[in-house]
Amino acid sequence: MQERSDELLIAAVLAGDQVAFATLVTRHHAPLLGYLYRLVGGDRPLAEDLVQETLLHVLRQRTYQADRPFKPWLYTIATNLARDYFKSAAVRQRGRSGEEEEEALLQMSDSAPGPEERALAAEQGGEVRAALAHLSEDYRVVVVLRFYQGFSLQEIAQTLQIPLGTVKSRLSVGVHRLHAVLAPAQEGVR
Amino acid sequence: MLPPQSPGPFERPEQLAEALREQGVAPEELANLVPAVHRLSEWQAPRPSSADTQRLLVQLATALPALSPVRQAIRAHRQRQGAGVRWLLATARIQVSLFGPAFWLVSALVTLLGAGVVLSKVLPDQGLLLRASGPFLAYLGTSIAFRGTTARALECELVCPPSPVQLALARLVVVLGYDVALGLALSLALWVGGTEQVAALMLSWFMPLLLVAGLALALSLRLSIQVAASLAYGGWLAALAMDANVNLPLLRLTPATDALLGGIGLALLAVALLRLPTDMPRLLPSP
Repeated sequence: MQERSDELLIAAVLAGDQVAFATLVTRHHAPLLGYLYRLVGGDRPLAEDLVQETLLHVLRQRTYQADRPFKPWLYTIATNLARDYFKSAAVRQRGRSGEEEEEALLQMSDSAPGPEERALAAEQGGEVRAALAHLSEDYRVVVVLRFYQGFSLQEIAQTLQIPLGTVKSRLSVGVHRLHAVLAPAQEGVR
Repeated sequence: MLPPQSPGPFERPEQLAEALREQGVAPEELANLVPAVHRLSEWQAPRPSSADTQRLLVQLATALPALSPVRQAIRAHRQRQGAGVRWLLATARIQVSLFGPAFWLVSALVTLLGAGVVLSKVLPDQGLLLRASGPFLAYLGTSIAFRGTTARALECELVCPPSPVQLALARLVVVLGYDVALGLALSLALWVGGTEQVAALMLSWFMPLLLVAGLALALSLRLSIQVAASLAYGGWLAALAMDANVNLPLLRLTPATDALLGGIGLALLAVALLRLPTDMPRLLPSP
């Protein structure tokens, strides 16, 4: 049987269809959790909270327009919520220590996981995680959307509501910065 | 236990190279960049278990809109019909039954009379009759379309699935659509009859029609539709009489002032539609 599209499902959800709601959540739970997990630097409880908050916004806002693709809209909400969180976290950090926002974010993402997760991260992709954490938020978002979520350039532009050219330039900067951090280790391996 | 891992979208280096090329990376840079970007897959995100998803569903269930099966069926029906214009046209088609044969025939006859007078050149000011007859169609249309209170149907309109604004829009589509069709027929008749300045004459016919329709609908928020439509049309006839008898350059009706009047009419229509949801219940008879 052919699967119902996201757009049909969300229309049914907003009309109170519980089965459509379960289907939509099941379909997007894992990718959305993965996206937010990487965006917040590997803090799973925080990413789970943001996933829940994103889906609550979907249900409560009711701003969805039927002619708009659902996925970019969903990730717009998720990204905005993550940004709001970054801002509030950065404000708190700045209030305490007066450090730069990016440093606050790094501290936040580095300090959040427990010892077990930290040990795991050190073994698996710790370097990559640190490299992504070094990117400023604008670049990190496009890199994660592109290379982890598999979004097309057009979908990224729709999600972030920025021109296609800006998407390309941010990706270019992001990729080059990742290369600068990750390449030496890679060369060492060779 | 380790959480299950999620696969990346670009598993093979060739796919990654293609993605980088698409985003504008120069071919000579690809060899450098692909291995670094490929390393992103080293950092895997946890995949939620089905129990995690169940928990999330339970947490979100309280926010799910709780609509009655009847409302759900109505919404589903609307979605099947398609959003926006198609739905509006479907509603308008249903509203057509509201207008009796008298509306269609009298409107057509009045337009025909206007065409006949202009073509026979009986009057020195050819636009005068059109300026009087066009708004008459608006008077006729609004007083029939929005007679909910006198037809004792307002209660039904307030509780029916389409909102009062949607109903008003649908009826305006019928009234103005028919008037536009008559206007096109009129302009064709005038053009075939060899009348000069057909466009200016049509402006003098249609723009006051919009003004009277807008004014009637706006006044109907405070008065009964019959009184509102009569006031709007009566006021317009008075303005025409002044225009014919008082020789003040500021009051002269020209194509530019006709267009301005049409704009005011459209603005009044928009205001009336925006105010309708809050003002309509006030029209209900007090217990």
